[in-house]
Amino acid sequence: MGRTRKRFVALATSAVVAASLAACGGDGGSSSNDGVGNQEGQEVTEATKGGSITYLQSSVTEHLDPQRVYVGRDISNLGRLVYRSWVQFPSGTTDATEGTTPIADLATDTGTANEDATEWQFTLKDGPVWQDGEPITCEDFAYGVSRTFATDVITGGPNYIIGYLDVPTADDGSSQYKGPYTGEGQELFDQAVSCDGNTITYKFKKPWPDFPLAIASLRAFDPVREDQDKGDRSDLVPFSSGPYMLDGEWDEDSGGTFVRNPEWDGEEDTNRQANFDDITFEVGVEPETIIERLIADQGEDTTAIAAQNITSAQYNQITGDVAERAVNIQSPFTNYLVPNFNRIEDVKVRQALALATNRAAYIGALGGELASTPAQTIVSPDVPGHQPLDTFGSPEGGDVEGAKALLEEAGVETPYPITLTYPIGSASSENAFALLKETYDEAGFDVTLDGLDPSGPYYETIQKPDSDSDLIWGGWGADWPSISTVLPPLFDSRLNLTANSNGQDYGNYDSDEANALIDEALAETDLDAANELWGQLDQLLADDVAYIPLDTTNFYYLRGSGIENYVNSVSTSGYPDLGVIAVAEDAQ
Amino acid sequence: MFAYALRRLFSGALLLVVMSMVTFLLFYASSSTPERYACGQKCTAQQLEQTKAALGYDEPITTQWAKFAKGVVAGREFPDDEALREAAPELVTQCEAPCLGYSTGYGETVRDLISDRLPVSVSLALVAFALWIIIGVLLGVMAALFKGRVLDRGIVALSLIAFAFPTFFVGQIFLTYVSIRWGLVDTPRYSPIAEAGPWAWLTGLMLPAITLALVYMAGYIRITRAFVLETQTEDYIRTARAKGLPQRTVIGKHTLRAVLTPLVTLSGLDLAGLLGGAIITESIFNFNGVGKLSVTAIARFDLPLIVGIVLLVAAIVIAANIIVDMLYAVIDPRVRLG
Repeated sequence: MGRTRKRFVALATSAVVAASLAACGGDGGSSSNDGVGNQEGQEVTEATKGGSITYLQSSVTEHLDPQRVYVGRDISNLGRLVYRSWVQFPSGTTDATEGTTPIADLATDTGTANEDATEWQFTLKDGPVWQDGEPITCEDFAYGVSRTFATDVITGGPNYIIGYLDVPTADDGSSQYKGPYTGEGQELFDQAVSCDGNTITYKFKKPWPDFPLAIASLRAFDPVREDQDKGDRSDLVPFSSGPYMLDGEWDEDSGGTFVRNPEWDGEEDTNRQANFDDITFEVGVEPETIIERLIADQGEDTTAIAAQNITSAQYNQITGDVAERAVNIQSPFTNYLVPNFNRIEDVKVRQALALATNRAAYIGALGGELASTPAQTIVSPDVPGHQPLDTFGSPEGGDVEGAKALLEEAGVETPYPITLTYPIGSASSENAFALLKETYDEAGFDVTLDGLDPSGPYYETIQKPDSDSDLIWGGWGADWPSISTVLPPLFDSRLNLTANSNGQDYGNYDSDEANALIDEALAETDLDAANELWGQLDQLLADDVAYIPLDTTNFYYLRGSGIENYVNSVSTSGYPDLGVIAVAEDAQ
Repeated sequence: MFAYALRRLFSGALLLVVMSMVTFLLFYASSSTPERYACGQKCTAQQLEQTKAALGYDEPITTQWAKFAKGVVAGREFPDDEALREAAPELVTQCEAPCLGYSTGYGETVRDLISDRLPVSVSLALVAFALWIIIGVLLGVMAALFKGRVLDRGIVALSLIAFAFPTFFVGQIFLTYVSIRWGLVDTPRYSPIAEAGPWAWLTGLMLPAITLALVYMAGYIRITRAFVLETQTEDYIRTARAKGLPQRTVIGKHTLRAVLTPLVTLSGLDLAGLLGGAIITESIFNFNGVGKLSVTAIARFDLPLIVGIVLLVAAIVIAANIIVDMLYAVIDPRVRLG
């Protein structure tokens, strides 16, 4: 599921995202939040057509280009409004299994793979057209993925396709195909992705059993029509195949409006209900102001929605009928700590750290149960195969005695010095790390807090293999609902460890056993059997204390009173599902 | 006077060249990682290098500055890679002289970006300026005339209070209460005067302009009051009074004229600073002016945009200085430039 691409500023501090809110350090007014809904309470009813929606947004949408967008919110919105692909996730569902099972979109079915999943075929439906009435073609799909190879033009987007497609690599490890603009190596790409009439064939150099999940979760595999592509210049000029199209221009700092696409056929594309007539994105509004406006619920704001967390200073205003318009659910983003294996070699010391990690205090500082939920694995709950582990101690954590005993068993000198490196953020996140330190110190460690700027030296520091950090903060969300996008990118030493950088494996974890399990799981074409293997791997990581889970950030959203059919679908990563949301008749 | 203006303009231009160099140097001296921002956390070391090259940050700083300078004089084409431009002409953006560069984050030339946002900042600054000058000077004179009395104390106390509250606080309070909770005014929005007419333009600007004007106004009340009081002790004022001139003439003609000189200097520079964008006020009210643009530029390590904004603000301040100095000669006949 689409991860916020700029994790250093926005999500790197995902502790901070949920928590910047805890600015006033209030108790979150937990007693006053009765009536706040969760996902289970949401269901799709018969919706009214028509009306206008305002989508209030604080952070800008930097990319509308399907091959460049990498922010979960934007991926979800674009997939419901303007971009169609081979497959998609069903709209309006809060069921974890149903919401993460692809259904056909522009393809006639959900695709067919060869036996080892190194070759996938999709056949295009007859009929769907672009916003100018021209038919969507198989070649448009091939052109779309080819753009990702133009790393000199198409920057910022997910680039899994470069690693998977059977295109030879050059000596420096880059692809020999340089994208459609220079056309260098085009014939190599054409061998890997080919169209035969309406049927496309993707040839991979390694098995990709969950390829349809990737297609449904990202926009990177969506079709693009060559004559509409002007590289960087068309980034904010989406050419629609979906129910809506951009009206006028998109201004990066203030947003834009999408209106109905007259060429789109709702009888054929039934998954997108396309209930409202138009939607205006009002971008750049301060987070507190968004919540204030939704609480006040006046004028156009009665039909407003937002993917913006209520700030903890505002928790006590969420009462009565305002609470009925609020929803609190778990987001796809999990935060964790990793012990640096180059510095803490004794597993008992790492286990002591895991036991002493005071999740309850950490979450309390971030704003309490409304802001965050304790995590017992790095795999977030909406990813199939998620299995909480008890290896890290209780959900609340902070087992001082247990940690002391382990340190004694390890026979190390106490207090044991630890440098905890984390991204600086809000006052509340600073407070959260200070509370972690407090419990560690009680357990026999001597923690030095090392806060670094996530948009500056943070990642550069922790990615150095010889860094002085003992314990390092990280945050992650799966790119598509599969553990294959969580554990391998973080713990496969072959992907990550080089002479100068540890990639995403900040703890320099290097285990042949784990790598072997990764290979086995990635090659397993039966997804249930693969999840079994992923479970084994997660247990191995827990036994080695390759990471210590902290929390899963919550989404705590508010909407206007004139909105109906409001669902935070699993299929849209918990963001408001624009595929079903409607404007109530009396609010139109 | 003409030679004086010319000399000042030349030294101003030289200063701009130096400032662009300093901005480049400072950018690279700080821990800026534009390629990291553009590429994301999941970026491998190799992709980071590719992104850096795509953004044009891989070249030596002198080459980058030389390209920038050439663009200002002769114009440039983007993307920078000539082979790419030839292979795919549809990607090319022309940036005519004076070209301040191309923002890859926005996918637009810096000049277009700034000229789109400048009217917002200028409108905001002008309305705020009018408010604080008129009300500030008026209240300042009144306070001086009623020195020591209730009116004076009241005005001084109020100005102190207004001065004490930071803009971000006042702005947020105005927006939350006046606009959102009490619904007294619509959510402030910028409407171009040419499209929406002067009334919509003015009403949309009112709340942020008052926010911005409050702090300045407080300062101007204090300064005007002090200058008026000081001037009133001058010999020529005593002479004017002794001649039997009416109070209105003594204040309006003799006192205010003397007070005007320092006020013009001050207000000229204050206004100039504001024309380059009011960062906090624009952010709170979501006005897309140069101030908000500069926040984005810095957050994204967008060097061309940073340089463009620095040069714009510097140019405005330099120009304002020249204008203020020349105005001196008009206001105060004793001053002769040359």
